[in-house]
Amino acid sequence: MLEGTPAPRNVFVPFRLGQVLGEPGHVAQQQAVLRAALGAVTGVADSGGLLELPFRWKRGPYPVPIGIAERPSASIDAQRDLDGVGR
Amino acid sequence: MTRWWNQLLSRVYGWVPALSERAGRRLRRVDQVPLPRLAPLATPLSASRVGIVTAGGVHLAADPPFDMQDPEGDGSFRVIPGDVAVDTLRITHDYYDHRAADEDVNCVFPIERLRELVAGGDVGAVAPRHVGLMGHLSGRQIERLLGRGTDAITKLFATDGVDLVLTVPG
Repeated sequence: MLEGTPAPRNVFVPFRLGQVLGEPGHVAQQQAVLRAALGAVTGVADSGGLLELPFRWKRGPYPVPIGIAERPSASIDAQRDLDGVGR
Repeated sequence: MTRWWNQLLSRVYGWVPALSERAGRRLRRVDQVPLPRLAPLATPLSASRVGIVTAGGVHLAADPPFDMQDPEGDGSFRVIPGDVAVDTLRITHDYYDHRAADEDVNCVFPIERLRELVAGGDVGAVAPRHVGLMGHLSGRQIERLLGRGTDAITKLFATDGVDLVLTVPG
């Protein structure tokens, strides 16, 4: 769909439909994806261009999120990511 | 097709991503919309005002839901205030599995994450208004969105002095 109807600048993450920013409650993951997507504004050279962001589902590491504490389950996932567990 | 069938199909697509990829490849390319020349970001991201357009069917609970009866979809859009409380948002969209986004709307409308990036200094400001619409449009509903809809959305963001708009699919 993205290739058929591109925006001026496009980024791709191999995440599930309906969870393109990341898992529900996974603040660190969502922040990282959003930060990278916005940062890509200077990385796409041609209109309709596409950048594949270097994220994998449930894989990290993700930096400690800004601002608020995560929900318990997401905190566990984030800590696993930071520790490299399950890779 | 009935709503339950569309909702079931959206879950099957979630279980078997290859099916959704195949369906995506069969979609008609919207050739009548020429890609614009890229406009360089005039200010650094850390000083930019950022808006969001989500195609995930997100709207205020107090606003009318998107029309799920028309098989061509609903080409209208809803305005979402930048300071919205996320528990006042709803998702009306039968064509993707939005159970995760029902639990955390940031999955398709990352308004809280954007606020946090502003607080952390990565982004300059959250736009005062954002836009919710639904993807999976066809026929007359695409024309509806591409006609008056996109003009109105563009003017909305221009009026608010928005530097950059993030568009998120459902």
